[in-house]
Amino acid sequence: MAIARDAAAPELTAVGAAEAPRHRSLRRALRRYGPIGIGLVMALAMVIMAAAAPWLAPLSPSAQFADAVLKGPGAQDRHVLGTDEFGRDVFSRIIWGARVSLQVGLASVVFGFALGVPLGILAGVQGRRTETVIMRSADMFMAFPTLLLALIIVTALGGTLLNEILAIGVALTPNFIRLSRSLALTIREQDYILAARALGSGQIRVMAHHVFPNALYALVVVGTLYIATAIRTEAGLSFLGLGIPPPTPSWGNILSEGRQYIKCCPWITTFSGLAIMLAVLAFNLVGDSLRDLLDPRLKGE
Amino acid sequence: MITYVLRRVLVAIPMLLGAMSIVFFAMRVLPGDPCVAMMGDQATTEALADCTRNLGLNRPLALQYADYVWRSVRFDFGNSFRQGYPVNEYIARMFPHTLVLVLASAVVAALVGVPIGIVSALKRRNPLVDYPLRIFALLGLSMPVFWLGILLLIVFSLRLDLFPLIGGGDLDGVLAMIRSGEAFTQPRDFLAAVGDVLHHLVLPALALGFTLAATVSRLSRSAMLEVISQDYIRTARAKGQRERAIVYKHALRNMMVPLLTIIGLFVAIALTGTVLTETVFTRPGLGKMLVDSINARDYPLAQGAITVFTMIIIMVNLVVDMLYAVVDPRITYR
Repeated sequence: MAIARDAAAPELTAVGAAEAPRHRSLRRALRRYGPIGIGLVMALAMVIMAAAAPWLAPLSPSAQFADAVLKGPGAQDRHVLGTDEFGRDVFSRIIWGARVSLQVGLASVVFGFALGVPLGILAGVQGRRTETVIMRSADMFMAFPTLLLALIIVTALGGTLLNEILAIGVALTPNFIRLSRSLALTIREQDYILAARALGSGQIRVMAHHVFPNALYALVVVGTLYIATAIRTEAGLSFLGLGIPPPTPSWGNILSEGRQYIKCCPWITTFSGLAIMLAVLAFNLVGDSLRDLLDPRLKGE
Repeated sequence: MITYVLRRVLVAIPMLLGAMSIVFFAMRVLPGDPCVAMMGDQATTEALADCTRNLGLNRPLALQYADYVWRSVRFDFGNSFRQGYPVNEYIARMFPHTLVLVLASAVVAALVGVPIGIVSALKRRNPLVDYPLRIFALLGLSMPVFWLGILLLIVFSLRLDLFPLIGGGDLDGVLAMIRSGEAFTQPRDFLAAVGDVLHHLVLPALALGFTLAATVSRLSRSAMLEVISQDYIRTARAKGQRERAIVYKHALRNMMVPLLTIIGLFVAIALTGTVLTETVFTRPGLGKMLVDSINARDYPLAQGAITVFTMIIIMVNLVVDMLYAVVDPRITYR
């Protein structure tokens, strides 16, 4: 890192003009906050889409228009993104589909966080046997890639919204355990932990009031990235036919159903896939930029 | 070194066992009955009872579990409920297809991802280079492989008619020709068969490879950044060595250690990717076999597939850990 700074130094001293700073600070602000701004706007748009689906969707997601079966974008002047094999409006279905993706994305991360972080902190602070047991079990689950583990669980329990949340949540848990443990390992060596203990704080109080708040920043950053993972995993499960079964629209099952019609009607798969990508991109952008902003090691960039 | 290897193997065994137990018990809570799934709900009660007995599903769960573990250890996953023949044979037939796909997409991912990662690390102060590369990485990271696959199919198979829409080519035939020696006696036929396999492989490898390239480029970017901030790079600069020499002689070689870790991660991601990729391209392989067997409630087949997947991942990680110690002498074997 030191080298990188040195390399940048001459550049900084060279720009000594008086009126430059304002321009530069604007540009720097744009460079720093631009990506996160775009990501937040996209994520917000998705939240609005999901929350206001009944008002935003021009047509009912389940209404079947007999006069417009498998018609392209703009058909009958009312189907902006075309219709599917039952004559349902793809645009409206995609808007409603945001609900599934967002619900699963957020809830499964909350689930993984709520289950994984206490366990991880416990492992990190307590050490010894507790740590071994928790970490070995986490390793066992880590042997499965997220999609594979979620796939096993969702197959076992059946494809409903709740089960998908549970499956992806459990699949994400070991990641949260690992991260919070490694954070706890460094935090527990800090002086303020010693001080808290000296003041008579018990183990639980130390973990809840001292370790957890100090780990929160990093956990939230990674949590945002896992929302993206969760959304992509949900779409993958639905694509494989293991997610929420149709007629309830989800981006993955719209795409999966549209697969049979890619020859005549590529719009079904194209737009539902685009929705998935943009949603995942939004949370990746936010998480990424948050990390860049909060990670002091990368601040010089 | 020997004790280190032994220790690592010993740690891997309970992990594998645990992973297998997860699979077994998850499959047993499945709501559907495999016999009903096979024979339909019109089947008589006697026929169903017969089927249950034949498949050994009426035995106590603990016994079934012990049996499953003992057989798995000997690489015997029983017979497929539906097809009847051994799961082993199935896996052995599907494995080459998946292996070829993973290797081909690894090549694509490495060719695209590593240079991009290195360039974006070195030129990170040049927004004209850095931004497009970062956008590429983000797009690749966010693009679901099954969507990319469908887009490729729409454009290159349906519109341009350049590549086949489904299937994986006659890989079995190619392997049989190699085994029988026909590959050398009739090179023309052999090359045609290989060409056909490759022809089927292009789109899936591109789809999977591209999504993997994003991960690879990020990892190699951070690996490069890590290396470039080391003291020996500063020393090399202070010596007045040219930037090119610094990159090739010092940075690249030392980057291999962090890159090795990537391989372990990479195999896990790539294997998951094959599940989706093989389904999109209707290619035979372990991933498609897994999805099909789950949909058919074919326990032994699904168990076998997942067990093999997990074994591969655990084993690759084991090997990577060892390579780690070989490549970087500073790491001690403990």
